[in-house]
Amino acid sequence: MAMTGRARPARSRGALAWGLALAALLAAFLAALAVGQFPIAPGELPAILLSRVQGPAATVFWNIRLPRVAAAMLVGAALAAAGAAFQGMFRNPLASPDLLGVTAGASLGAVLGIFLGLPVAAVQGLAFAGGIAAVVAVAVLASAVRGQGDPVLVLILAGIALGALIGAAISLLKILADPYNQLPAITFWLLGTLSAATRGDILAAAPPALLGLLGLVLLRWRLNLLTLGEDEARALGVNTGALRAGAVAAATLATAAVTALAGAVGWIGLVVPHAARLLGGPDLRRLIPLSMLLGAAFLLAVDTLARSAGRLEVPLGILTAILGTPLFLWLLARARRGGGGP
Amino acid sequence: MRPGRRALLAAGAMLALPRAGRAERPVADATGRRIAVPDRIAHVFPAGPPAAILLYTLAPDLLLGWPARPPSPAEAAFLTPEAAALPRIGRLTGRDNTANAEAVLASRPDLVLDYGSVAPTFVSLAERVQGQTGLPTLLLDGALKKIPETYRLLGTILDRVEAAEARAGAAERILAQAREAAVRLQAQGRPRVLYVRGPRGLETGLAGSINTEIIEFAGAENVAGRALGPGGLAQISMEQVLAWNPDWVIAIHPDFPAHARQDPLWRSLPAVQAGRLVLAPGLPFGWVDFPPSVNRLLGLLWLPVLFGVHPVAGLAEAVTAFHALFYHRRPEPAQVEALLRPALPRT
Amino acid sequence: MTAPLLEARGLAIGHGRRVVAEGISLSLVPGRVLCLLGPNGGGKTTLLRTLLGLIPPLAGEVRLSGAEMARLPRREVALRLAYVPQAAPGGFAYAAREVVAMGRAARLPLLTAPGARDREVAEAALARLGIAHLADRPVTELSGGERQLVLIARALAQEAACLVMDEPTASLDFGNQALVLRQVRTLAERDGLGVLMTTHHPDHAFLVADEAALLHGGALTGPAAPEALITAARLRETYGVDTVIGTVETPSGPRRVCAPVVASSGAAS
Repeated sequence: MAMTGRARPARSRGALAWGLALAALLAAFLAALAVGQFPIAPGELPAILLSRVQGPAATVFWNIRLPRVAAAMLVGAALAAAGAAFQGMFRNPLASPDLLGVTAGASLGAVLGIFLGLPVAAVQGLAFAGGIAAVVAVAVLASAVRGQGDPVLVLILAGIALGALIGAAISLLKILADPYNQLPAITFWLLGTLSAATRGDILAAAPPALLGLLGLVLLRWRLNLLTLGEDEARALGVNTGALRAGAVAAATLATAAVTALAGAVGWIGLVVPHAARLLGGPDLRRLIPLSMLLGAAFLLAVDTLARSAGRLEVPLGILTAILGTPLFLWLLARARRGGGGP
Repeated sequence: MRPGRRALLAAGAMLALPRAGRAERPVADATGRRIAVPDRIAHVFPAGPPAAILLYTLAPDLLLGWPARPPSPAEAAFLTPEAAALPRIGRLTGRDNTANAEAVLASRPDLVLDYGSVAPTFVSLAERVQGQTGLPTLLLDGALKKIPETYRLLGTILDRVEAAEARAGAAERILAQAREAAVRLQAQGRPRVLYVRGPRGLETGLAGSINTEIIEFAGAENVAGRALGPGGLAQISMEQVLAWNPDWVIAIHPDFPAHARQDPLWRSLPAVQAGRLVLAPGLPFGWVDFPPSVNRLLGLLWLPVLFGVHPVAGLAEAVTAFHALFYHRRPEPAQVEALLRPALPRT
Repeated sequence: MTAPLLEARGLAIGHGRRVVAEGISLSLVPGRVLCLLGPNGGGKTTLLRTLLGLIPPLAGEVRLSGAEMARLPRREVALRLAYVPQAAPGGFAYAAREVVAMGRAARLPLLTAPGARDREVAEAALARLGIAHLADRPVTELSGGERQLVLIARALAQEAACLVMDEPTASLDFGNQALVLRQVRTLAERDGLGVLMTTHHPDHAFLVADEAALLHGGALTGPAAPEALITAARLRETYGVDTVIGTVETPSGPRRVCAPVVASSGAAS
């Protein structure tokens, strides 16, 4: 699928894209605050917000609903921005934040933590560390194996190889785990959920996630140069190795942090950048912030559905796949019809 | 004051939020945490299946629902109609809740009850649930030996002291008798038991796992070795089964006995030939495990009989009495007979 | 005497242990066009990538304005040397002005995007090449020739003194070929850039080059004046084709042309 776009005057396209994205986020935000299994009438909200009321409704709002809304926005924004950056840097429309194994590594860390019976904070810490460690391992592996080859290709292949190995380790742990307490926890984690997200979790995940996002936002123009390919970028004066390393580090930091918070939520990093590209074009200067807005809105909508569709929580990964697949196919059709392929 | 109040909520206070206009009293749970609960308790949310069963046995009117799934019709035949009709409510584990936290609060429980391991991890998980929901979350010790103690503690918490004492006493007697039977088995030779799960019987519980705890408590030897990890289950092959050559095969899947009787490999086992392949009863709750709650006491009534230490006569009576006391419904003799027939050796 | 913009001395090029060509020496000075000829597989691309510093030489050195390229960071190289690759279809649908603005990368700090001054330079580059009207169009929607011009504009935005172009007329139609070649000549004569371009057509050397060189059989012949280098004998030896080299009258004076002889073997004599 080529990452082309339709011809429209650049300025008006930009304004339209921002407008739509902001509107979507605002709508999702307001809906998420208003919807939930605990009935809070809209009339009660001002009183709760001004802290004049305490009781179950206030608990629900401050302790359960608002942290969850904040978490969903953070996770959605981080995954979408990382996906947009990777799709550009690696010139691959199927790239997702997990390309270099951060989600696999985080999963292994978390599963190991659950298996060892560690408290939640330690599990989250292991997930974060595991995500970072996996990408470092891939980078080391790739540079050891590379020789004269294309650095990008070798990096991707090393990521795939390590991901497979990590998958095997996770499967082994699943077999050895206690089926009462651990296996359900592991399964849920691997699908992603915000059902138990607390303020503390979010306060722990926010700094690295925001730092990573900041890195991506600051580097976004220069990352455009990487989309030209190795030779052209270097000829333009770009230190491609260092830039790639910096961008990968930023994306990995953000992805590892939100994966430690919410588990392995899939599809967002893959699909949302395509939607953002359709709206605003491939220029990463616009694409990265736009992906953040749309990613936040999308996951917010998905999580609102996950916690209110039925009596029981639905893991996020299930819903992102169910909703993401038709969206992806529609985007594919749109791109073919609209901009045409190469 | 506003920032202070918000901080209190945000820090996941140890104390539950006061309910407007309700009196409170402090209680301690099995981990020693002191928590304030309302004076009058009308609804309790069980955090998982073991807690649900415990609560049902002591105070079925307080039960809000079943965490994993509502009882099937076969199970419902042994439960009170009201309990059988309760809905599925999801689990509150503190890290991967299937119960939606808002839905939990919407059903206005007075406290959350968790029953199982009291290792520090689970204490911290209980804290998380309490921090998120603002509800007093009590964790009780699920160890087999502590069942009487747990009943007494729960009776204090729920203000059902007499009922709790009745059950604690009954549990004490069952445990004592099983212990004594185990001592006798130790002397005359411990039976070697293979515990199998699944319709083909190719999964077992390892020695030391919670799945087979009562088998070992009753004095038998689990032929499957010690656990490799916290998980207690393992896949096995027929080769291993034939090598072990157990005295008894205890299955929990209802389809397995039929399969074993016609499968040539299983049929070649002396235990199967001698009719010592038995099916552990599972209605309304399993007698051996799944979930590892007070339902296992029935297993302790049964196993000494199975191994020949206690007389068969009287088992049906004891089972009926247990059901009446713990499950609040006296089963018909035909129901008990149906439970016991596949559970005892064919003569 | 100032150092040449781009200079190769005793260069051996190749990959790993495999030497593709050696003993290569050439130099490029401002205002001159050097055409590099040679058959497919002869090593033109490898030589180009070595001159650009994208792959290391196996022996010898490359110097930019006297400085050893191996010691220069990429940013420094880009300030002196600009690369115009072959325009290829596909790619990302950036607007033409955005593509040209990318040429400013070497002059911008790490975290800075192009500002007003950079945009002015980009606009000026587009105007210089006569394609200012295409500034807002996505490059994927432009014709091959227009895309090539956009890439040249990007190289101009780098404000480097030396341009290295890889077959800038490949896959262009007749009109666009003339367009690009005219621009190459203008950039050298009017703007004083030093231009090195590879080409498959010996005729282009006659059209635009001040000097020509031929890379074939592991060695570089030249650089020399095109008339001296491009002879029928040499072309037959290099390409295996008979050619006729003559002179035609054009409004701006006589010029040499080079045409292959294509006669079918079954022609009646």
